Amino acid sequence: MVAVQAASSAAMPYATPNEATTASAMSEKAKDVRRSNITAAKAVADAIRTSLGPRGMDKMVRQEDGSVLITNDGATILEQMKVEHPAAKMLVQLSRAQDVVAGDGTTSVVVICGALLSAALDLLGDGIHPSAISDAFQVALDKSLQIVKDMAVPVNLDDREALIQAAKTSLSSKVVSQYSNLLAPIAVDAVLTVKSAPQFNGNPNANGNSSTESSMPGVSATSATSFVDLKNIRTVKKLGGTIDDTELVDGLILHQHTAKAGSNAITRVQNAKVALIQFCISPPKTDVDTSVVVQDYTAMDRILREERQYILGLCKKIKATGCNVLLIQKSILRDAYTDLSLHFLGKMKIMVVPEVERDEAEFLSKSLGCLPIAGIESFTSDKLGKVELVEQVSLGPEKIVRMTGITKPTKETVSILVRGSNHLVLDEAERSLHDALCVVRSIVHKQYLIPGGGAPETEVSVMLSKVAKSTTGMEAYCIEAYAEALNVVPFTLAENAGLQPVEIVTDLRRRHAAGESGAGINVSKGAVTNIKDEDVVMPLLVFSSALSLATECVRQLLKIDDIVLVR
Amino acid sequence: MSSLVIKGQRESGQDVRTGNVTACVAVANIVKSSLGPVGLDKMLVDEVGDVTVTNDGATILRLLEVEHPAAKVLTELAAQQDEEVGDGTTSVVILAAELLRRANELVRSRIHPTNIITGYRLAMREGCKYLRDKLAKPVDKLGRETLINAARTSLSSKILGSAESVKFATMAVDAVMAVKTPTSSGKYKYPIEAIHVLKAQGKSAKESELLPGYALNMTRSSQLMPRRVAPAKIACLDVDLRRTKMKMGVSVLIENPEELNKAQEKELDITRDRISAVLKAGANVVLTTKGIDDAALKYFVEAGAIAVRRVSERDIERIAKATGATVQVSMADLGGEESFDNSLLGYADEVYEERIRDDDILIMKNCKSTAACSVLLRGPNEYMCDEMSRSFHDAVCVVKRTLESNSVVVGGGAAEAALSIHLENFATMIGSREQLAIAEFAEALLVIPKTLAMNAAHDSTDLVAKLKAVHHAAQNDDSKSKLSSFGLDLDVGALRDNLAEGVIEPTISKKKIIQFATEAALTIIRIDDLIKIDKKEDDGSVPY
Repeated sequence: MVAVQAASSAAMPYATPNEATTASAMSEKAKDVRRSNITAAKAVADAIRTSLGPRGMDKMVRQEDGSVLITNDGATILEQMKVEHPAAKMLVQLSRAQDVVAGDGTTSVVVICGALLSAALDLLGDGIHPSAISDAFQVALDKSLQIVKDMAVPVNLDDREALIQAAKTSLSSKVVSQYSNLLAPIAVDAVLTVKSAPQFNGNPNANGNSSTESSMPGVSATSATSFVDLKNIRTVKKLGGTIDDTELVDGLILHQHTAKAGSNAITRVQNAKVALIQFCISPPKTDVDTSVVVQDYTAMDRILREERQYILGLCKKIKATGCNVLLIQKSILRDAYTDLSLHFLGKMKIMVVPEVERDEAEFLSKSLGCLPIAGIESFTSDKLGKVELVEQVSLGPEKIVRMTGITKPTKETVSILVRGSNHLVLDEAERSLHDALCVVRSIVHKQYLIPGGGAPETEVSVMLSKVAKSTTGMEAYCIEAYAEALNVVPFTLAENAGLQPVEIVTDLRRRHAAGESGAGINVSKGAVTNIKDEDVVMPLLVFSSALSLATECVRQLLKIDDIVLVR
Repeated sequence: MSSLVIKGQRESGQDVRTGNVTACVAVANIVKSSLGPVGLDKMLVDEVGDVTVTNDGATILRLLEVEHPAAKVLTELAAQQDEEVGDGTTSVVILAAELLRRANELVRSRIHPTNIITGYRLAMREGCKYLRDKLAKPVDKLGRETLINAARTSLSSKILGSAESVKFATMAVDAVMAVKTPTSSGKYKYPIEAIHVLKAQGKSAKESELLPGYALNMTRSSQLMPRRVAPAKIACLDVDLRRTKMKMGVSVLIENPEELNKAQEKELDITRDRISAVLKAGANVVLTTKGIDDAALKYFVEAGAIAVRRVSERDIERIAKATGATVQVSMADLGGEESFDNSLLGYADEVYEERIRDDDILIMKNCKSTAACSVLLRGPNEYMCDEMSRSFHDAVCVVKRTLESNSVVVGGGAAEAALSIHLENFATMIGSREQLAIAEFAEALLVIPKTLAMNAAHDSTDLVAKLKAVHHAAQNDDSKSKLSSFGLDLDVGALRDNLAEGVIEPTISKKKIIQFATEAALTIIRIDDLIKIDKKEDDGSVPY
């Protein structure tokens, strides 16, 4: 398209002086632009629709560097696919946006968007103005959100079973689905543990009850709904074992391993007092320009002794505070530790874990209740975190440090140790777990559940077409098309599960029209059943955000009438 | 699909599945002929010209540098089996490829991949259960005989297989027993890393031996040192025993020539003090990972001690473990001075140097805590020695796994045939589309006995049919249950009681083969789209 345009403008350089015909910019005709944008975006949606649902397939991506990735996660696939068309890139970002907001439904959002786009394309073909379509879609969206809201069931956060079901539904589409009985409770417990954290910050006197209501009086109105920061959940991946060995650790996992000086390594400390230091235990370096000049050969001895004395001094001070586990932050300026300092610390029975990243410091101090120590002068015993047991554990070829029994009044963080037999499975397990965590988080943020299995889409579609019938004009026509487009989700679900899509979708519509709002596709039975009985549920937030994001993306694409390529 | 513009190529649907399966089958075909006691070896030449001759599936695949992304999954599979079990790397790849091939056939006959996945999973679980409950023979008290038999089965397919198998199997068992260490929980662990394998060319493979203690492939630093010290007190240092140089940034300024001499002497004196501290503690064998100055050697010679420089860190750690020594990175003590405490020393009855081929080898005999032993492998050439060490490693792994799992299954295709029959019956109990997948799974297991027979140049169809008949009888007729231990006798091309013949494998190895192969096959079947991103063009800009 661009090439044709360029050729024509080059042939008639002076014919259309009003248009930007300079060599730096070229333009396309509005109609074609819209069409090409929509086609490109639809192509993206088509590419990932086979991975939707519990029976979705995986994609294998060979990345630029030759490494291979196998995944079922929409956001990950799109990110790795490296699409080139600008409109297609918008869909990629759409998926990422859904990932940020809800963390799950990243495939659905793109599939819905693709369906809405093809509906829009038909409407455009009928001669309806893009703005009219766009506005009507917005109306349809508002109505839809109302409809799902009505069918949503409030959920109490104390109802652990319901949360686990939602997490299981999210996991069912992943390669790790057979482990959902294990991973779903992990996700729920992890989120519920860190959930209460901000409230205690706001009101330290609140009792240990984790329900939102109890802390409401003490905190300002803005934190009435509890907030979950997934940064407080640390997932540590280690190769080896199987996914069955994945566990939620009551305490903290460090992926670093202990430093070892000779065979003096201490790998197990009971009743540990942990310090996190940000300074180096190594001899100070002279600047490049300055040097120490020794004039007398007897002084050579002294230099060596001085160095030992200096390090020994540091180590003794550390020992004096009662510290017996030392976490050392990485340093780029000089060695964070030397053989000599490890030697001394080892003699003093202090366990050393080096290579702590700068951005980990906050997490560690939050989990252990210790304060990062910036200099030896400020190394005092009140900054230490107390832990019952610190132990280095070998997991196949790799090692981790596990801290259990943290004596800290409130738990603000948790660690999850993810195991997998090869790195493909391991990475996918981590991504799936992330999705499950996000689902639980979504419920905490918006405490409503809706049935899954294509039920909400069908319900919205059926109800919306009723609405369309009660209005007139362009808007009614567009809303009808919008309603029709939403059928894509149950259609694709059925298709991916190896069922007859037309049969299933029509049956589903019939039931919903008859008022059976819980009817959905039961993939394992291969039929339409009341999906609520099957405990296939998902958070309201996932669906409502998917619908809003997809609609907004479509509206934006519709409004574009020109692509200007600037060289 | 043309409307999706990506920087690369994209294939989807059945094409991808067929492509992936073809690639995996191709990989499996390479290793197929090396399965079993009569399997043959591969010679691999890499781009530098280095030659490897091997029979080990994991090694072959690692050296192949497979390009195809799906085939890479298989090479990883072999590596994983190698790591977790140590043996059965060829079987796992062959089984995975067979499962894939059959899955692809099913997809072609219009069975949805998800049904196949469920079916395979069901079959895998049922199979593992049957393996554990019915086929595994618990070995309550593992006799030495059982261990040797398991090691022999593993070795049978290797270069050490033929006449020497008993010798090497015994060596493997002895080696593992030598490193047996109790853990805090009252159980035993077998750190096979502590088995030190030394390779030396020359002499026949039969003259390989198990050395009592740790053999260090190094020689004394000076010929003036004694060849033998007994009893030995060993100091393991990670300290530089060369002239002590000042650090960067410290310069020694000397104004007259006499000072120069003194400064140099001082450098040596600091080292001398260190050495005498070690010797004063009673050490008569000093090992260091760093250097020792020639000028400093005289102190050792005077004291009649053996000193070895540039010992690798791996070696020194093992020696420390074996002798009970503590590796010291620094000699500083808590007073800020330098000293060496005699509690840091390790002990051995005897340390002596022995000449093997052209090299001198330092042997530490009867170390205080014998958590280490050494195996000296001899062979006519380098490739032979390498392959021997790989085979020996496999055998050691098998012994370890047998000890850990305390149960064995019958080898020679017996376990696979029994499982296959059971799963066939199991399939008929399931009245859905998964039935077909389970039946194919059962059929796929037979690839192992088939390949075994084929490699031995016997009529595989005939043999496998007989094998199936025997196992069918064993499972359906209680009076014939003894037949369940029948497997292939590949020398004669007939069936025999493999349990009686001592052809056994650890249960865990068989179980992992089935689990890993299924997992890998499923990973590949689930893929319906392959996106290859083009390599970034090098535009000369710095990437970061």
